[in-house]
Amino acid sequence: MFKKFDLKNFGTDQLWNRIALVSGIFALLVCVLLIGNYIQVKKADPINMKVINSLVERLHKDPSDVKLREEIRTLDLLSRKAYFTSKWQIRTGGYFVLAAIALMVISLQIISYRKTIVPQLSPENDDNTMAYRNKTRVFIVTGGSLILATALIFAILATNELKEKFAVQEINEETPIENNSDLITQAADSLVLEIIDTTGTSNITIKHTVASAFTNNDSVNEKSAASSKDNFPTFRGPGGNGIAKQKNIPISWDGSTGDNIRWKTAIPLPGYNSPIIWGNKIFVTGANTAKREVYCINRNTGAMIWTVVVENIPNSPGQAPKVIAETGHAAPTAATDGIGVYAIFSNGDIIGLDMDGKKLWAENLGVPGNHYGHSSSLMIFKDLVIVQYDQKTSPKLMALSTKTGKTVWSTNRDVKISWASPVIVNTGKRTEIILAAEPFVASYNPADGKELWKIDCISGEVGPSVAYANGMVFSVNDYSKLAAIKIGADQPTVLWENTDYLSDIPSPVATDKYLILSTSYGLTVCYDAVTGEKYWEKEFGNNVYASPIIAEGKVYLMDKTGIMHIFKADKEYVSLGEPKLGEPSVCTPAFTNGFIYLRGDKNLYSIGK
Amino acid sequence: MKKSTQVALILLITSLIAFNLFGVQRFPRPEFENGYQQPETILNAPRALFFEYFDLAVLIGSLSLITWLILKKRSRKAVFWVMIFSLLYFGFYRKGCICPVGSLQNVTLALFNPEYSLPINGIAFFIIPLVFTLFFGRTFCAGVCPLGAIQDVFALRPVSLKSWVQSLLGLIPFIYLGLAVLFAATASDFIVCRYDPFVGFFRHNASFMMFAIGGILLFISVFIARPYCRFLCPYGVLLNLVSRFSKKHLTIAPSACISCRLCENSCPFGAIDKPTGAKFKQPSNVLVKKLILYCLIIPFLMAVCGWTASKYYESFAKVNFKVKLATEIMQSKNSESEVIPLEITAFRSSGNSEEVLFEEAKVILNRFYLGNWFLGGFIGLVFGLTLARLTIIPYKTDYTTNKGTCFSCARCVDYCPVKE
Ligand code: SF4
Repeated sequence: MFKKFDLKNFGTDQLWNRIALVSGIFALLVCVLLIGNYIQVKKADPINMKVINSLVERLHKDPSDVKLREEIRTLDLLSRKAYFTSKWQIRTGGYFVLAAIALMVISLQIISYRKTIVPQLSPENDDNTMAYRNKTRVFIVTGGSLILATALIFAILATNELKEKFAVQEINEETPIENNSDLITQAADSLVLEIIDTTGTSNITIKHTVASAFTNNDSVNEKSAASSKDNFPTFRGPGGNGIAKQKNIPISWDGSTGDNIRWKTAIPLPGYNSPIIWGNKIFVTGANTAKREVYCINRNTGAMIWTVVVENIPNSPGQAPKVIAETGHAAPTAATDGIGVYAIFSNGDIIGLDMDGKKLWAENLGVPGNHYGHSSSLMIFKDLVIVQYDQKTSPKLMALSTKTGKTVWSTNRDVKISWASPVIVNTGKRTEIILAAEPFVASYNPADGKELWKIDCISGEVGPSVAYANGMVFSVNDYSKLAAIKIGADQPTVLWENTDYLSDIPSPVATDKYLILSTSYGLTVCYDAVTGEKYWEKEFGNNVYASPIIAEGKVYLMDKTGIMHIFKADKEYVSLGEPKLGEPSVCTPAFTNGFIYLRGDKNLYSIGK
Repeated sequence: MKKSTQVALILLITSLIAFNLFGVQRFPRPEFENGYQQPETILNAPRALFFEYFDLAVLIGSLSLITWLILKKRSRKAVFWVMIFSLLYFGFYRKGCICPVGSLQNVTLALFNPEYSLPINGIAFFIIPLVFTLFFGRTFCAGVCPLGAIQDVFALRPVSLKSWVQSLLGLIPFIYLGLAVLFAATASDFIVCRYDPFVGFFRHNASFMMFAIGGILLFISVFIARPYCRFLCPYGVLLNLVSRFSKKHLTIAPSACISCRLCENSCPFGAIDKPTGAKFKQPSNVLVKKLILYCLIIPFLMAVCGWTASKYYESFAKVNFKVKLATEIMQSKNSESEVIPLEITAFRSSGNSEEVLFEEAKVILNRFYLGNWFLGGFIGLVFGLTLARLTIIPYKTDYTTNKGTCFSCARCVDYCPVKE
């Protein structure tokens, strides 16, 4: 009944040729229309029409004109409708073009499909294999050489400096300290002799233990490491955020056997402050009710380079304030910028010394009204020493000039007494000083002390400093809560909070992914920094007063008995070691590449080979 | 070519270029002052797992079918219809994704960046055509690849290119492959997908430039068959190399070639090797000498090209968005202009640290430095081997398909008088 379908008999070539032609012309026509439409759409700017804009301007002058408002809305709707109709036309037209082209190709294919194959033989069997190969070789060799020669010339002329530039930017971003390039540190020396230097001009007695062979700095100074990143200039590292950039930090030692202990030096006066490092010099402070001292120790040998007794400070009280034993008179960690070292004590004495221990300036900030004892560490921003002075009367945040000690700015804070240290971070947008004290976590512009933002989320006697990572600030205090604050927008918001594990002394530390928090009773917990999901908790069995530091993805957490708990900053708790110092410790560690520096009750240790 | 066809072709190309009209800019969101909350952007859900496996089944099915049709049935017409099916399914229905050509970048990215988890489909689409090619030649190219198919339907008046032109242009895919691997390995860009000239037609969406390039390539396809497959496709390089080892490759004659020369000009892709004859047989001592020469030249070429390319690593690295952003941030800091580019504002409002960005950018730069050495070395190797290949002439007595460049399209089969 039906004839077998065969493409060969389906229409004539002429018919298919015509179909191809007609569909081609149709496609072209639609194309022309589409192009016209496209130009129109491109030109039209429905949200920026002159008429509407002028009407909007009129409305601004008389916002109560309801009729005008309606008119604008109608016009706006019309222009948007027109825009979308054009878009619809373009799309539909496109489908027409596609269909027409498909029809044209099908027609042409049908014609070629039924063409009988007619092999075309070359007139003669011209075997040009060799000729073609030679020709190709010539082209490849000449063309390739030309391209290579041009590329070589430009390669020789090319300057690749991005990496270095990025490195410089990184340092600038990372360190709040400037003027580093001309910083110098003294070379190491093992020859130590003690001299007493009473500077006639000063009313401060400074006792130097000097590396006397190197009294002339210029002759021996090696260029210091260029930035605070390479050093460990403040409590909890640069900016005080608990992140160390140093590498190859040891994970095993034993203080009792001396295993992996490079040196050990006794620190004359007690102090719960942590070591800070610049170049070859380590600084710690010590104090009792009668005496306050700043020590400079040779990083390589452990030899005491100098000791400065801080005395006769104008307005300094005759008697040391009452403090509890767990705070002592030298709880705040000193700070250095490679030009000077700055230290503060429980009685409000603050001193600036140069790297050789010479006094730059000294003053008394007023005895802090603090029932446990002042403990907030100093921070550095450019040429400012940042001092948290959240004491009983007129709590404030201050910035003193590193050169003169004069107050550059002072910002009053409506807070209760607190023991937390400032944290200085670069959020990508700007550098901020972040502080926690009841009732808020607040941020300040380090240049002028102006408050940038604050959020009520903390209460009680705040001891832990905040942690910062990836646009999030983490604050915590005992009997209060742990709050994860998202900053960056005008108003910070608490993304998540938790009250299960709270710290009253150790500060938390954070990475983009994890928040590590240790309580003072030795329970350590790791959260997902973004969601607050708890990954793990670990009971160490001993109290912890020191704050954890992250270096190379490892957390270093010292407990009060002197055991350093080293574990991965990771989803799972993976212990990497629990080396013992051999004496109790409440101080946070400091690092240089390949070495860790720990302060025990009596001694300062350098660990590493 | 007939006049009517020529007119039709011109119309066709004009129409294709007009496709860019789909690529107009997006309509900006209206601004509301009354606190109206913009709805959340809804992202398309990923394709259901079942359909992913279905795609895989279609790939394997069509590859098996076309291989059988080529090797057993030796039917060009059947190959053509499978090709049309693939064009419709993998091209217009699946919108050109996932495709083995692009999957080579996913595989590279996964190899160099362990944090990127490669979907099983990605690996399968990369591996399966290679496996088929290893055994049966480039049957994937013949009619399963949608990119090849769309060009093939336009191959209406193919002319044969001079062999030397073909050899020269044949170097481009190697360079393209090297670049694609470099940019994928450094997690910078998928250039093969970004500059896929035909995917715009499949999706009805592309920039003006891509529509124009696609249109031009299709126009060229009419006269120079499958220009993208032959002179650009980076996946084709891998298939070309693998296919050389295929045991069961399509042969022009089903049994012994009678050297009738009828198929000589039948291949639109210039993939038929003529017999070289005894006169090109080179004495073995000459061959050994040439071999030694190239053993010396090739490492030298690789070193020079590697060194040269390594000097351009910063320019290459700027393709990476992190390096680009870091550079822009750096420049904006040093510039006096008050205007901050949108990218920088967006980055800063994300709260991410610039320090981390600079550090990451440095790591990426290092990767590019190493990568450029490899890229240069690879290009040097390709040039060296091409020169060696041109110098050393294989001895051949029959008309055979060139296993590397032949797409197994089975066109030549119809020209051969030997049918059994
Ligand atoms: S099958 Fe024949 S015509 Fe097709 S590409 Fe291979 S050699 Fe050329």
